[in-house]
Amino acid sequence: MDRLFELAPEFWVAAAETLYMVALTLLIGGFFGLLLGIVLYTTRPGSLLSNKPVFTIVNVVINFFRPIPFIIFIAAVQPFARYVIGTGIGNDALIFALSIASSFAISRIVEQNLLTVSPGVIEAARSMGAGPIRILRTVVLPEALGPLVLGYTFVLVALVDMTAVAGAIGGGGLGAFALTYGYRQFEPAITWAAVILIVVFVQLAQFFGNWLARKIMRR
Amino acid sequence: MALVSLTDVTKSYPSPEKGGAPIVAVDSVSLEIEAGDVFGIIGYSGAGKSTLVRLINALEPTTSGTIEVGGRTITSMPERELRGIRLEIGMIFQQFNLFNSKTVRANIAYPLQVAGASKAEIATRVDELLDFVGLADKARAFPDQLSGGQKQRVGIARALATSPRLLLADEATSALDPETTQEVLQLLKRVNREFGVTIVIITHEMEVIQSIATKVAVMDGGRVIESGDVFDVFSSPQNPSSARFVSTVVKGVPSPAEVAVLRERHDGRIVTISFRDGGASQSAVFLDLANAGLEFELVYGGINDIQGRAFGHLTLAIRGADAAVDAALAQVGARAEVTEVA
Ligand SMILES: Nc1ncnc2c1ncn2[C@@H]1O[C@H](COP(=O)(O)OP(=O)(O)OP(=O)(O)O)[C@@H](O)[C@H]1O
Ligand SMILES: [Mg+2]
Repeated sequence: MDRLFELAPEFWVAAAETLYMVALTLLIGGFFGLLLGIVLYTTRPGSLLSNKPVFTIVNVVINFFRPIPFIIFIAAVQPFARYVIGTGIGNDALIFALSIASSFAISRIVEQNLLTVSPGVIEAARSMGAGPIRILRTVVLPEALGPLVLGYTFVLVALVDMTAVAGAIGGGGLGAFALTYGYRQFEPAITWAAVILIVVFVQLAQFFGNWLARKIMRR
Repeated sequence: MALVSLTDVTKSYPSPEKGGAPIVAVDSVSLEIEAGDVFGIIGYSGAGKSTLVRLINALEPTTSGTIEVGGRTITSMPERELRGIRLEIGMIFQQFNLFNSKTVRANIAYPLQVAGASKAEIATRVDELLDFVGLADKARAFPDQLSGGQKQRVGIARALATSPRLLLADEATSALDPETTQEVLQLLKRVNREFGVTIVIITHEMEVIQSIATKVAVMDGGRVIESGDVFDVFSSPQNPSSARFVSTVVKGVPSPAEVAVLRERHDGRIVTISFRDGGASQSAVFLDLANAGLEFELVYGGINDIQGRAFGHLTLAIRGADAAVDAALAQVGARAEVTEVA
């Protein structure tokens, strides 16, 4: 326990690092995931802008990257990270890798949630003379907003989990903190302190997501 | 000139199996829908009604044939131009298809936004429509807070927002109970009368046709097998399938099984007399029978009112001497159609 008090400054820094990594990844990965998901949804056969070649290519690319275990993916994109953001190690390299990996995962979640919008509602908008882009912007996205928020909440929780491996490439965060000071130095109290804070983060995120989705869906 | 005219229109979908024959949903249909009509299309499930109506606002491209709406051929129009045409055609649906994320007001405003109306124009028009459908107090409600009938009234207001000349209704009352169905049908009647909107209404319920349609087309297997004035089709259907639909609301000539039941309950001769608007009046017929000193009883049938015109089949059990009955029936036969059923 005493050790935990000694390490308090490092602990809070680690917590802040986790929040930083999760927030930035959610922003970047969330944005590109949304774009990819919209491309998947709109180009699928029979959809608003159906386009078989584009759909097939995007679909195959996503299926190619999705199954790669994240810890291996980090190593695989390291050279690419060096080229783009100037470093292959540390928190920023992790954000880089995680943003890419999560965009692919998020695109599927976005696609699935957009597909829940009833075709009848889209047909109604078409019957009023609305074009595909307008329908996407003013009908599909608003109608799917509630489920989308829940989907992003799920992603947020998964991201907290995935940032825990940042230590593998010299990054920080609560995962690295627990491994370095708790696991390797035989201090279970330290490990547990990190675990508890992570659980608190996850609970808060889930609570907020549920609240927001409920507000949007008015249930 | 007709507001909508279809010439030899066919719509087929590729077969679900590879190499199979295509599914012909609409098969060489030709129809004329005049401005001001309430045009009913009736048929069993899978007859091609929805497909036909979706061709009229070009939600689906036709396979062959031409469709003209308001004198413009839509079957060869590019998508961009079709969007303009769709603004002039309203559509309502069985499942209402309201935007659940938008309020009633925003639902009705949507087509006006698509049409590029100003905020002020939209506000005035939406208020008008809310009053017309009697939902002014629900403007800020969301669709999931409304009953089915209220939802369809919002659907109607939304479809009328851009003041279209044509309203397409695909099973607009099929999800509603009988009382609410009548409410919605009466509202559609007002839309037709007060705004002169031509209505194409699809249904599988003859009651709907009977309540509001002026013309009807009967569809079966993608084809229109009979069409004409509702009164004509109801009073003398030419096709067995149309006759089946008519028999769901009109008690006509009793079937052989029904005749057997009547026979058991009543003695004497059982005779069906068919009345048509403009033909013999019932009182003249009854007077003939009474003057002949015959005793008679109404055992089956009824008189129907279609668009203010009456027709019907009355089946009577007549008791009396055979010769007297024959003489009386000969007299009645000169006034109305007489069929001896048992
Ligand atoms: N998009 C489609 N792809 C393939 N076949 C279709 C499609 N839409 C309709 N069909 C087929 O066309 C036929 C007519 O369908 P349609 O929906 O027009 O019938 P309907 O008369 O409206 O029936 P219901 O009363 O059940 O609504 C059916 O056999 C249906 O399976
Ligand atoms: Mg249908």
